Amino acid sequence: MSQGGEPVAGINPNPSENQVTYVGQPHASSNPYLTTPGPQVWRPPPQPAPTSWSYRPENPSTQNGYPSNYYYDPQRDASAPSHTQSGPSPTPNAQLQGYNTPYATSYQSSVTPHNNSADYATRFYSNANINSSSLQVAPNQNTGASNQPPFQNSVGHTSSTTMSNSNIYYNASGDHQNTATTAPSYQSGGYYYQQTGQAYGYPSANQGCTTVNPSYQQQYGQQYYYYNHPAGGTSVGTEGTMPGGANAGSHPGVAAAGGYSYPTNQPPPPGTSSWRPDPGTPTLPLVQGVGATGYPAQYPGQFQAYPQKPADQAPASAPALLLASNNANQGNAFYSQTPNMHVSSTNQFQQASQLSQPQPQPQLQPPPPPYPVQIPDTRQIQGSSQLHRNMVQMPETRQVSKMQIPTNPRIAPGLSTGTVKVDRGSISTGGPAKPAYVSVTIQKNETKLTSPAEDADKGAIPVSLRAYVERSFARCKTDAQRTANQALMKEVITKASAEGTLFTKNWDLEPLFTLPSGDATNTNSTQESTIFSSLNKEKRKSRWEPVEETPEKKVELVSSSTNGGPSNIAYSRPEATPKLDGENWNTMKFVKAQKQSNFSSSGRGSFKKQRTNSFIRKPPENANSSSDSDKERELTKYYSSAISIANTPEEKKRREHRSKRFDKRKIEGSTPNNSSSILTRKANAMLLAKNYDENSGTDRAVEDIDWDSLTVKGTCQEIEKRYLRLTSAPDPSTVRPEDVLEKALKMVQTSNKNYLYKCDQLKSIRQDLTVQRIQNELTVKVYETHARLAIQYGDLAEYNQCQSQLKRLYAEGIKGCDNEFSAYHLLHVCIHSNNKRDLLSSMARLSIKSKQDEAVKHALKVRAAVSSGNYLLFFRLYKAAPNLNTCLMDLYMEKMRFEAVKSMSKAYRPTLPVRYVAQILGFMKSSEEKESEITDKSGFEDCEQWLKAHGAVLKSDGSGDLQLDGKASMTTLYMPEPENAVSHGDASLAVDDFLTRAP
Amino acid sequence: MAAYLSLAESQRRIAGYLHRFVDAIARQDGATLRPLLAVSSGASLLPISDALANFPDSSRLVTQSDQIAQFAEILLPLLRSIQSHRLRCFAEAYSSYEKAANAFLQEFRNWETPWAMEAVHAIALEIRLLAEKGDRELASVGKSPEKLQAAGSFLMKVFGALAGKGPKRVGALYITCQLFKIYFKLGTVHLCRSVIRSIETARIFDFEEFPLKDKVTYMYYTGRLEVFNESFLAADQKLTYALARSDPLNMSNMRMILKYLIPVKLSLGILPKMSLLKKYSLMEYKDVIEALKTGDVRLLRQALQDHEEQFLRSGVYLVLEKLELIVYQRLVKKIYIIQKQKDPDKAHQIKLDLIIKAFKWLGIDMDVDEGECIVTMLIYKNLIKGYFAHKSKVCVLSKNDPFPKLSGKPVMAS
Repeated sequence: MSQGGEPVAGINPNPSENQVTYVGQPHASSNPYLTTPGPQVWRPPPQPAPTSWSYRPENPSTQNGYPSNYYYDPQRDASAPSHTQSGPSPTPNAQLQGYNTPYATSYQSSVTPHNNSADYATRFYSNANINSSSLQVAPNQNTGASNQPPFQNSVGHTSSTTMSNSNIYYNASGDHQNTATTAPSYQSGGYYYQQTGQAYGYPSANQGCTTVNPSYQQQYGQQYYYYNHPAGGTSVGTEGTMPGGANAGSHPGVAAAGGYSYPTNQPPPPGTSSWRPDPGTPTLPLVQGVGATGYPAQYPGQFQAYPQKPADQAPASAPALLLASNNANQGNAFYSQTPNMHVSSTNQFQQASQLSQPQPQPQLQPPPPPYPVQIPDTRQIQGSSQLHRNMVQMPETRQVSKMQIPTNPRIAPGLSTGTVKVDRGSISTGGPAKPAYVSVTIQKNETKLTSPAEDADKGAIPVSLRAYVERSFARCKTDAQRTANQALMKEVITKASAEGTLFTKNWDLEPLFTLPSGDATNTNSTQESTIFSSLNKEKRKSRWEPVEETPEKKVELVSSSTNGGPSNIAYSRPEATPKLDGENWNTMKFVKAQKQSNFSSSGRGSFKKQRTNSFIRKPPENANSSSDSDKERELTKYYSSAISIANTPEEKKRREHRSKRFDKRKIEGSTPNNSSSILTRKANAMLLAKNYDENSGTDRAVEDIDWDSLTVKGTCQEIEKRYLRLTSAPDPSTVRPEDVLEKALKMVQTSNKNYLYKCDQLKSIRQDLTVQRIQNELTVKVYETHARLAIQYGDLAEYNQCQSQLKRLYAEGIKGCDNEFSAYHLLHVCIHSNNKRDLLSSMARLSIKSKQDEAVKHALKVRAAVSSGNYLLFFRLYKAAPNLNTCLMDLYMEKMRFEAVKSMSKAYRPTLPVRYVAQILGFMKSSEEKESEITDKSGFEDCEQWLKAHGAVLKSDGSGDLQLDGKASMTTLYMPEPENAVSHGDASLAVDDFLTRAP
Repeated sequence: MAAYLSLAESQRRIAGYLHRFVDAIARQDGATLRPLLAVSSGASLLPISDALANFPDSSRLVTQSDQIAQFAEILLPLLRSIQSHRLRCFAEAYSSYEKAANAFLQEFRNWETPWAMEAVHAIALEIRLLAEKGDRELASVGKSPEKLQAAGSFLMKVFGALAGKGPKRVGALYITCQLFKIYFKLGTVHLCRSVIRSIETARIFDFEEFPLKDKVTYMYYTGRLEVFNESFLAADQKLTYALARSDPLNMSNMRMILKYLIPVKLSLGILPKMSLLKKYSLMEYKDVIEALKTGDVRLLRQALQDHEEQFLRSGVYLVLEKLELIVYQRLVKKIYIIQKQKDPDKAHQIKLDLIIKAFKWLGIDMDVDEGECIVTMLIYKNLIKGYFAHKSKVCVLSKNDPFPKLSGKPVMAS
């Protein structure tokens, strides 16, 4: 393509033109940490507006713009404040806001109704989109850029993977359902989408992207930012990148991104370890299935890319700084390699197939921006993509967004007005900003990002650290040294922030690093960069390697297993990147040197501005909208036609159908023509979705709603389905109709798998029933089955849910084992909740007929025994318990025994044979029913142990029989702490416990 | 009847009502205002409701004069409510009344003195009664009754307006009592807790300064809550407070309190006279008391079974059920007394056989282990002083006060 040629040309010009500005930018970005000397001077205030634009504004803007993004809020807020502190000009914020708002509006139109789910999805998508958008930009500018896109995606994935790790626990346990708000649930949600309607998630993302691209990018950037934070900017982030590839393969990029962001925001302890399992097994299948669609292509590309960049990957453990450096290198390589075009093109195709159609479109549609500009963009993109490191992405995204803005006007017609406006605004800002460029910038940005260190940290750098940095720069005699020093400083700071020692460390005592020889850096910029990266890698490695390794392996495995063909393409690409890196590196250094010199002269105040400027500079012109539309298109086509995409004429049509497609995704079978009705229906459904469970029995609050029109008719034929708490209106393609559900229930009933699996399956069955408003004997059976399993397993929370549903269903006259369950209910209330009023009311509710039922009678007797403290009766009833009454009584056994022994030790004098105690307290069978000596003996020993464990005083009398010394025991009895007690009170939530129980 | 009213007469009545309403507010005359708000209970509104039925354009009368129109937000829904109530559309009447009440509350917040307290209390009562009627109506047509719940949340708003510092606080307890009535009716007694906390923790205002009738009602309901919690001492104290201060001639109030106080007292070992039961027609407790006196376990069980539904509904079933141990104690004590008459020296040793025999005599079969368990429980709960010898199956009683009386102390909780 012509692109290939362009990039090359662009490359050359870039260094000269852009370099200066560019360099300055990098500094600006990185400066916050490094602050001081060189950079400040170099960047004058001329570009203040752009500066402001670049960085901080985004965060604020995102906050403002995204009403829907509740989840992110915490992070945003945090980040936002920090940004503001750092002091970028406020004006930029305003601009950003503009962006955001358009986005929000456009987005809302499609999704608004179900805020949570929609937002959520959009988030994911936004991430994905962002990736794609950045990718898009890349293609336009350079062929190399096209390659980059995949990486970006991978980045998103990576992030998600890391997140996923944290979340794993939830998924496995299925608890995430309950904790919908928590990050894990989201991830799982993302995951879910992928599984069921992979296309679904994407389409929405695409839509969002198309309309909102600018905003998306911003968000994306922010998200990354967040990600970086969580990652600690250090190894985690890098790790994330690696796994990301793998995950991406399995998961749609979107989901991954979403998951990632969440985790970062919420550091849910459980999540960290748990996620992997899910991605590992489930994702693979998914990926395969998707393969045709085009996801595979992307992933493979990513995967390959990783392997090729061994150095980068290895360092993956290295903190963001390292990544940054790597990125820079890669970016440079890319640049130089312009020839790589073809490679990149292949990548682009893949990307396009992926859904990120945007990429192809951008390439075609958007006329290549000024070379310098383009080149920078590509670099940025590459850097970000390659690095995946979240940090890198941040700068990139920004750059991309700027780039896109210019393109948007061209494409504009298709885009929503909101987006267009945004684009323009961005353009205006971007125009001036162009100059900046860079690999260096990326690094700086990274540092900021990396410094996971919480926004606060970013905002305020310790004075001592500033002095430290100044000292280090003061030693630099040459520009090359400065650049090197800068990189080092970044590393140090990143590391410190990652470790949380940024503020605790005594920077005044911290030894300065020995400076690399300036000559070396200058002459072999590429080499140097690699060296740096390697150095960084090594350092980080020691710390982070272990973590990183696993993700990498995973990724590799996935890639190899899933994608064969695509991988090749990807391979080619990595090579290209290194070359480019070299070039970039050189230019960067050059710039830096200049900057530094300027820096010294200019005061600190200018410094901030410079920073911002650096971000601003890229005015790449990408057709964001086009890319988005492409995505959507592909999605709608289920990715099958992805490769062929990127036809500009088609774009318009696609845009028109975007919203329709979105709907379509959600409601399978509905044709685009129905979009409007679908929309309203969806909106209604979303509005109701939240309340659905509560209201499921009663229509009172929603009398005027036509439920029948909203009721989903499932089409899914899969018998097995993982449970995922719905975050949006159900997709019929993922909902199983009644006959399939019946099979599913049978499958669960006959399954040999553990409770967790069954619970998950039953929950998904319940969900499908609820969604389809099926309330009949099957529903009752499902709830009964689940309740029984829960009782057997001791999962009272789940049991409670089932019980309350059963109560309602029985009340509606649906047949079932209602006596059995009223017995369970009685036992549960009297034994476990100890709520006298509940007990009274449930006793009062019993009909005379049900009081004749054996199970109910038994339960009432147990209640009486518990209430009077008649332990003998309790244990006799325990042995005679029908159904699962035993299981519920089990849970009270310990307490009952303790009470019994307490009263025995008070009442009996002088002693009481342990044998008798064992018999009374159900350790062994009573004399009449004694069957075998063996069980008898073990029961006796159990009793002895139990008594000892509870502080009873035992002594043997003359005949050799062990006796309980009543008087002595009275004061020594105690209730030992349950061995499996956990601080959060629910042992079933403990990770260890979970791991041991999981198959 | 309405048909006989002339249009002019109707208009005159409505206008008169409106003027009385506005005048009462202008003169800050709570006593006059109160009956004007009593939609369901006051016969005083009958003429107006007739007039309203006859005069369709009542809203015009409200908006006619500025003086009246300033309270249009109260009066318009109020008139509608009166009309709906007259037509026996209680759910609608409630909805309108709630609107009026909300508007009135808004005004009330702005009045610095509590002159309108009577009116607010009238509203609180009315809204609860209307909600109950509305719910009955809704339930009869198969809709879910939700008005009482809504009334509960409205009263919480009223409570919020009163419960702070200042002179209006005096009226808060009345609202609390109305809330109690709603919560007990709805079975959501856990919601009482926040209100109680607000009443009991506010040191600014002495509880005794509340009106007596509110104090009695409050103590009655909190006493009932204590019965649910089976904290008998607190329940005893509260219910006794209520009993002592309520009018002994008000039979129904006395009976309501005694219904809970008697089981509480029984749990504390204090038995009422039969005449009390008769006087307040609480004969369902007769057999229970008899069983406690005689140690007749069978009688107790029979009484519980006979009145099970009643006891379950009032919530004293579990309390009465727990009396069984005391009945056991009485039974063993009887054995002891008889034994003592025969052979004072060995009286403190009661053979398990004897106890089991006694149970059998009462028609209750039990084996040795069960007998042991019961004796163990009695000893454990301090109903018997002594010990049990497992080997010889003998319960050895302390020579000093082997059967301690409860005398106001509850049986030790398990």
